Amino acid sequence: MAGVHIERLHKQFGGKATAAVHALADLTLDIADGEFISLVGPSGCGKSTALRIIAGLEIPTSGRILFDGRDITGLEPRDRNIAMVFQSYALYPHMSVRQNLEYGLKKRGVPAAERASAVDSVAAMLQIGPLLDRRPRQLSGGQRQRVALGRALIRDPEVFLLDEPLSNLDAKLRVHMRAELAALHQKLRTTMIYVTHDQLEAMTLSDRIVVMNHGVMQQVGTPEEIYSRPANRFVAEFIGTPSMNMIEGEIRAEGGRPHFTGPGLSIALPMAPSAGGRATLGVRPEDIALVAADAPGAIPARVTVSELAGAERYHFVSLGESPIIVRTPATTVLHPGETIALGLAPDRLHLFVGTGDDAAAVR
Amino acid sequence: MLRSLRIYPAVLLLLLFVAFPLYWMTVTSLKPQTEVFRVPPTFLPETWTLRHYTDLFWLTDFGLLFLNSLKVCLLSTGLALVVGSLGAYALARFRVPGKEAYGRLVLLAYMFPGALLIIPLMLLFRQLELTNSHLGLSLAYLTFAVPFVMWVMRDFFASVPVDLEEAALIDGASRLGALWDVVLPQAVPGLIATGIFAFLFAWNEYLFALILISDESLRTLPPGMMRFVSTTDTNWGLIMAASTLATLPMAIAFGLVQRYLVTGLGAGGVKG
Repeated sequence: MAGVHIERLHKQFGGKATAAVHALADLTLDIADGEFISLVGPSGCGKSTALRIIAGLEIPTSGRILFDGRDITGLEPRDRNIAMVFQSYALYPHMSVRQNLEYGLKKRGVPAAERASAVDSVAAMLQIGPLLDRRPRQLSGGQRQRVALGRALIRDPEVFLLDEPLSNLDAKLRVHMRAELAALHQKLRTTMIYVTHDQLEAMTLSDRIVVMNHGVMQQVGTPEEIYSRPANRFVAEFIGTPSMNMIEGEIRAEGGRPHFTGPGLSIALPMAPSAGGRATLGVRPEDIALVAADAPGAIPARVTVSELAGAERYHFVSLGESPIIVRTPATTVLHPGETIALGLAPDRLHLFVGTGDDAAAVR
Repeated sequence: MLRSLRIYPAVLLLLLFVAFPLYWMTVTSLKPQTEVFRVPPTFLPETWTLRHYTDLFWLTDFGLLFLNSLKVCLLSTGLALVVGSLGAYALARFRVPGKEAYGRLVLLAYMFPGALLIIPLMLLFRQLELTNSHLGLSLAYLTFAVPFVMWVMRDFFASVPVDLEEAALIDGASRLGALWDVVLPQAVPGLIATGIFAFLFAWNEYLFALILISDESLRTLPPGMMRFVSTTDTNWGLIMAASTLATLPMAIAFGLVQRYLVTGLGAGGVKG
């Protein structure tokens, strides 16, 4: 097991500086020994590049990686004592499950008897004992996933790298394997670096989450921090489903207090931004409550569509002129065309100043 | 059904076209000398005889020619597979500047007529003392076999998922180790298919074998068999018997690996 220190990691593809694509820009990150950390972001955000550099499959343009203080930046993958689970599983098709599992040990010169007992214990842990003599093509998706995990586990690596390991599974199996993965980490306490585009996976599994976009780290923090205090507009919109409502408007001082004024609404703000600029107000669908029309701060709104999503309902509502989504328990029934009053929890409001995804949160 | 009715006559015609010379060769080798030139010809020998075959081994050095051919062909095929596969792997996997142009040049080398190569090759080999040597002849065959192997194997390697190799690298394999343990086993059909073609090319090759080898004891089959033709007398029965025996190993090899050959050439052409 090892802590991982990533220092100013930079990767560009394509030789000339003008045509170069910056896959990863200046990533600095400390991962504690035994931590489960997720790199999350849309495709092309640099999360996989970062993982592949840690694995030694890509060479960084600049920057260093240290495992427990040892600089491993220039080492071959096989000299790093890491294990990796691939999205495609990458099981060796011409080998049986047993041969797949023990390949890494064989390459490291572990004697046959030890290999056999290691295979048995990993097979028992992942419940793949009966599959040991089969070929990968004779296995179901979930079974292949287990074998891929087993092949990584058996080596007892210092750092575990997982590249979208669950994304090829169907929805039900994915939830199941997610729970197993969490249990596995609980038990092993090995450092795990997990790459996913699925923010829900990142939220449920991780000790900390790194949100990335366009090769740049946007925010790092615990799932709670990322969810309730997003650092910028990109993080706010990427994390959470349905995603955070965004209302465009500006900051004005009204009666000595800063107000957010959008098309058809004005809301007193708990934070103190400088007045007079364009801004975006963010509020999560569950932080909006239905209130009585005469309640203080109530804002009138019109229902457009309501959707039932099992235990809850998503109401598509026009707040002033801005379309937003309100999340309520399934028992709250609203009809299209109905006029309602909404209350926004003041301490749950997010305010973003700036343009585009980079608009920073004001606290 | 209709489709097959239309296709079968065409297939039959093609089969006749391809198979008749083989049939005629075999039948002629089994006829006595007097029956070979009879008009009208007999489609099955009236008198069956193995005389030509016994003559082949007792009166000519067919056995030696056969062994020489086998040796040269195995050597050149083996070398072509090793060198060609490594080259193909590099073309398929590594980011090398000018890779595409190089890939095309390889194909160009394959299409280059051998008759143009033979004079410079002869001069070069004489200096290197590689004439009258089986190793030398095998090396000369690589001028065709290596480009062919590279061209076909490149697609094979490209169709093997990179993830597999990367998994092996992380599991503790070296580059070559990953190639050997993980990539080559996926490319076995391709190796067999290209190997057979490289072997076949060398087995049938006449010009290089004639010019690069003048020592009688080192001659290979195609130029060796030419000596059965003389100015006064051509023993067709003997030539046909030799041809039949020379065809036999290739026919057997094709039969054994037909399954791989079909998947092999198919997989090479269409990825996935």
